[in-house]
Formats: sequence, C-alpha cells, structure tokens
Amino acid sequence: METLQTIGAFVVLAGSIFIFLGALGLVRMPDVYNRIQAGTKASTLGTLLTLVGLIMIMPAWWNKFLLLAIFVIITNPVSSHVLARASHAAKIRLSKKTVTDHYETYKKEKEEKAHGVKS
Amino acid sequence: MIKKLLLFVLLAGAGVMFWTGISDYEVKQDLNPIASYYADQGLEETGAANLVTAVVVRYRGLDTLGEVVILFLTASILGFFLIKRDGKNDFRESSEILKTASRLLEPIIILAGVYVFVNGHLTPGGGFQGGAILASALILAYLANPNDSISKTLLKITESFSGLSFVIIGVLGIILAGGFLDSTLLPAGSIGNLISAGVIPIIYLFVGLKVGSELAGIVTNLKYAPKNESE
Amino acid sequence: MESNLNIIIAIVLGVIILIFAALAIYHKKLSVAIIAAGAVSLLASIMYLLLAAPDVAMTEAAIGSGLSVIIFFYALNKIRKHHD
Repeated sequence: METLQTIGAFVVLAGSIFIFLGALGLVRMPDVYNRIQAGTKASTLGTLLTLVGLIMIMPAWWNKFLLLAIFVIITNPVSSHVLARASHAAKIRLSKKTVTDHYETYKKEKEEKAHGVKS
Repeated sequence: MIKKLLLFVLLAGAGVMFWTGISDYEVKQDLNPIASYYADQGLEETGAANLVTAVVVRYRGLDTLGEVVILFLTASILGFFLIKRDGKNDFRESSEILKTASRLLEPIIILAGVYVFVNGHLTPGGGFQGGAILASALILAYLANPNDSISKTLLKITESFSGLSFVIIGVLGIILAGGFLDSTLLPAGSIGNLISAGVIPIIYLFVGLKVGSELAGIVTNLKYAPKNESE
Repeated sequence: MESNLNIIIAIVLGVIILIFAALAIYHKKLSVAIIAAGAVSLLASIMYLLLAAPDVAMTEAAIGSGLSVIIFFYALNKIRKHHD
C-alpha cells in the first residue's frame, strides 16, 4: 500500500506542475485566445492528474473523485469554448503573429450564403 | 486639509474602539451556557446528525424565516423595478456545444442541489446552499438558450407554495407540539437515516425550493430588464 | 505539526484575500473588480473550510463566488453605456 501512495503523491506533483505551467502560460502568451488555450489545456490535464493521484492515495473515495473528474472533463472545455467565442464576438483583437482565423472566414462565408439565398 | 484632519480623527477613534474590543480578548475554553445546552441536548432533542442544521432549523428557526423573508423582499423589489416594458430582448444565439453540454449538465447540477438540501440534517449543507445550486442550474439554462424563457408563473407558484408550507409547518408546531417549528411534530426516527430528525428535512426541502426559485426569479427579472439608453 | 501547517496556509490565504480585496476596490475596470470580488469569496470559502465550518464554506462558494458574480455581471451589462 505504501508504494501506491508514493506513486500517487508523484502523480499529484505532476498534476500541480501542469497547473503551474498553465499559470505561466497565462502570463507569457500574447493574446486572449492563446491564453485561453494554455490555461484550459494545462489546467484540465493538471486537475485530472491530481484526481488520479488522489484516487491512488485514497482508494476508498474513488467514486467521488471519478464524479469530480467527469464534471471537470465536461465543464472545462465547454467553458473555455464559450469564453473564446464570446471574446471573438466582442471583437477582441488577435495577436500580430496570428496566421489564420478560420472562425472569421466561416462567419463571412455564412453571411454571404445567407445573402445569396435572399437575393 | 480640514477634511483630512477629520478623517484622521475618525480613523483614530475607530482604531481606539477596535483596540479596546480586542486588547483583553482571551480564547474561551468552555462554551457559554446556551451553546453548551445546544451541544449537549441538540442531538437527542432533534435527532439531526448535523448539529448546525439542528440549531438553524429548530432553535433558530424564526431567524431562518426572517432570512427567507428578506430574500423574498429583495426578489420582489427587483421584480417591481425591473418589470419588463419593452417586449422581448434579442440575444445572440449560443453555440451548439454549449447547448449540448448544458443539456448534459443541468440534471447533474439539479441532482446535486436536491442532494444537498435533502441531506441537510445528515451532512454539511442545507436549504440555502441547495437552493443556490438549483438556481445556478437554471442560470445555466438561461445562458445556453437565451431566447427561450422559463415560465415565470411556475417560479412564482413554487416560491409562494414553499413559503406558505414553511409557515404552516411552523404554526402546526405551535398547535401540536412544543413551539414554533418544533421538530418533534413527526417522530424523530433513528439518527443517520434519510427520513429522521422530525420535520427538519421537510422544512429544508421547502427552504431550498424557495431560495432556488427566488434567486432564479431575480436573474429572470435582470435578464429582461430594459437597457439603460441614456446615451 | 499539522496545526502549524494549517496556520501557515491560513496566513497565506489571508494575505491573498487582502490583495484581491484591494484589487476589487481600486481597479478601474468594473469587470476586473467583480472577478476579484468573486475570487475573494472563493478563497474565503477555503478559509472557512480550514476553520472547520463546511456549511458556511458551501454557502460562500455557491452564493458568493457563483451567483453574486453572475448577478453583478447582468447588472453591469444593463447599466453600461454603449461606447460604439
């Protein structure tokens, strides 16, 4: 049992390292969309790793941690998607290094299609 | 200059007041009489495993009623001032991902809220917390489908019915048992079961429904409030 | 040992709460101030949990950092003047 708990502690440590990298990304990234990307991906993985480690440390509570993990898996990507969409709708500028913006072209194509149908 | 001096005098006065309050503060080792009475007798008298719930519902039930009334007043004042005048607001349609995820999440959140206030006499939690979680599920529904509206009359009926039931149970306690909101109206049952602790679970059910519908009503009123168009 | 650790965590939390509270008061952007106020509530709920009051912690987390932030944002959206 002792070894399982040690492994669990290391997994929790790995998870917290991922969360720290996500926080670093929030500071380092150039614009909103990249920040959302860094924050969401790293923090989702970090939280999941932490929960897995906690299951190893405390196997009796696995069902609660599993429920938490499912909740995080559903909510975290959806909330980041909504944030990114809202900031795109609020016309927050992209960084200067951006190469392509597929959502903008998609919106334009949709608009043109709608106009084409009307006229 | 004189304003700053006045401010300084005011701050110094407040500092002296606080200092006299905390300078001779000692951590008390033993509870005061009423708290020790609650701690000793509460478990047997109410049958609730969670002592905080026993105090909130049984011994301080009147205060809980007051809190609920304050919340009701807030909700009704908001409804009075933010009444919908200008037809239906148009909101930007939300994305497919959010709609699907909210359809998946709403039952889970509502279940969590109901769990919190139904188990209020056993585990930490209770009517207010569960009601807030319920209201957050309704807010998620608003955010996901901004152009659909949840029936306001349903919210109103839920709120009025649960408030009325709360008071009726309290008055029944005066008539049939020891006093207002006496939980010995129903048999206490064995500690730790879901159906135990007399009327405490029922009261918490109504408090939870009332708080949830009130908070959801506040957000509904805010959503359809007319925008400030002063510029 | 354990109580010492608890006290250290509580002190760190208290300092962070003070920083966020100052941010909520002094920041010029109202939306940042609202988010800072929500963060104060979230950290305060952890503080209540450390002080062995899980009921209060649940209330603070649900109402303080969840609902009141949403209600503040709704109100801000209603009263904000249009810049465009």
